Amino acid sequence: MRVPIRMIGLATTFFWIFLIAFFISAVYSLKDVHFDFGDPQTDLTSDNKFILSLPVSITNKGFYDIDSFNMTTKILNREGLSIARGSTLIPIITKNDSVTVTHNMTIDINDLLERYQEYLFNDTEVTIHEVVGMRIGDMIPLQASANFSVPWGAPLYNFSLGEVEYVAYNLTHFRAVVPISFENHAPFDVVGTIQIQMYSADEVVGDGQTNIEAHHNSPYNGYLELYVPITEKPESGHFEVYFRTPFFKNDDRPLVIHYG
Amino acid sequence: MADTKNDSKKRVRNFTFKALKATVKGILCYGIYFVLWMFLAPIAEIIPGFQQMVETFVIVYIIFIIIGELTSGTIFQYCFNVARALFVIGYLIFSLNGGIFGLTFENVSFMIDLRLFLAIATLLGLLGLAKSVLQAVNYMSEKAECTPI
Repeated sequence: MRVPIRMIGLATTFFWIFLIAFFISAVYSLKDVHFDFGDPQTDLTSDNKFILSLPVSITNKGFYDIDSFNMTTKILNREGLSIARGSTLIPIITKNDSVTVTHNMTIDINDLLERYQEYLFNDTEVTIHEVVGMRIGDMIPLQASANFSVPWGAPLYNFSLGEVEYVAYNLTHFRAVVPISFENHAPFDVVGTIQIQMYSADEVVGDGQTNIEAHHNSPYNGYLELYVPITEKPESGHFEVYFRTPFFKNDDRPLVIHYG
Repeated sequence: MADTKNDSKKRVRNFTFKALKATVKGILCYGIYFVLWMFLAPIAEIIPGFQQMVETFVIVYIIFIIIGELTSGTIFQYCFNVARALFVIGYLIFSLNGGIFGLTFENVSFMIDLRLFLAIATLLGLLGLAKSVLQAVNYMSEKAECTPI
């Protein structure tokens, strides 16, 4: 019985040494894994979707291969609902190797602003939930996650229509001049058109359209001209404002501003 | 009279030898821990309580080794070996929180899944336990064989 016991003892000792050596070398080699994050870049797709790209460089100088490297980014609104999601997977990073990937996240601004119109007019904050996962030496899965807030700049911050000025245009119509002002706090330029329909009670009395061009982080001040029949010059009512830009349009849900 | 004197001398010599062996084993264990700690030291800076956790383990383990060595040649040696094997299994499960090890550092949460490592370590611990039980059985059977009828 002594021989089998000795064999068990030898086998146990051998496996313990192997296991401890593997664990310590795996943990120790983690310090030789380096991550470098480049400057985030923005781009626009042909279907007017906003792409946020983050170059990530991973250098593995550890003792073991890294597999199933996965980077997931979620953008959440204030209520915790997902606005956009991006994921990048690198199946394997062999030891003494360096891999550079671009972590892309596509944001459908039009869809976002249609669903959450407050993002058009109000500066707010979005939460970015970042998860990085990997497996070391085929055996030890590791995950790091972080939440951080990023300010969201509204493209039409403080949008307002000024006092309407009526000027006689011809015998039948007035020319109504509507001042428009807003600040573009968004990371992109707002280039497109604004259409305003003037309502008196429930009837359209005037309709006009103008082009706008507001660079990011700059104010916009302009005006729009409408032609209103003299007989229907309204004292009060409301405007319906439509925005049409490559990033967003609100044809289904016009902005309603009362006047008078 | 001379036999009694020889017996006590032999006992003292035996105990001294056991104590010496236990001391050497203890120092050897501490030496291994000391070398391995050089590799694990960077982790201790990140994980609070890691050093204390490992030190407690090493202290208890060395105590078991010393006691096991001092009681060698008796059934208690195997009892302490069984206790040591159970301690290794229990301490690993307890300190590694069942295999999912979580840590929050500033705003970043880290999670390391050591379930596979823990499963292998537990199996090896059970193997050590089985070995100690077999040694105890062997010791008892050999003792029974030697007992004159």
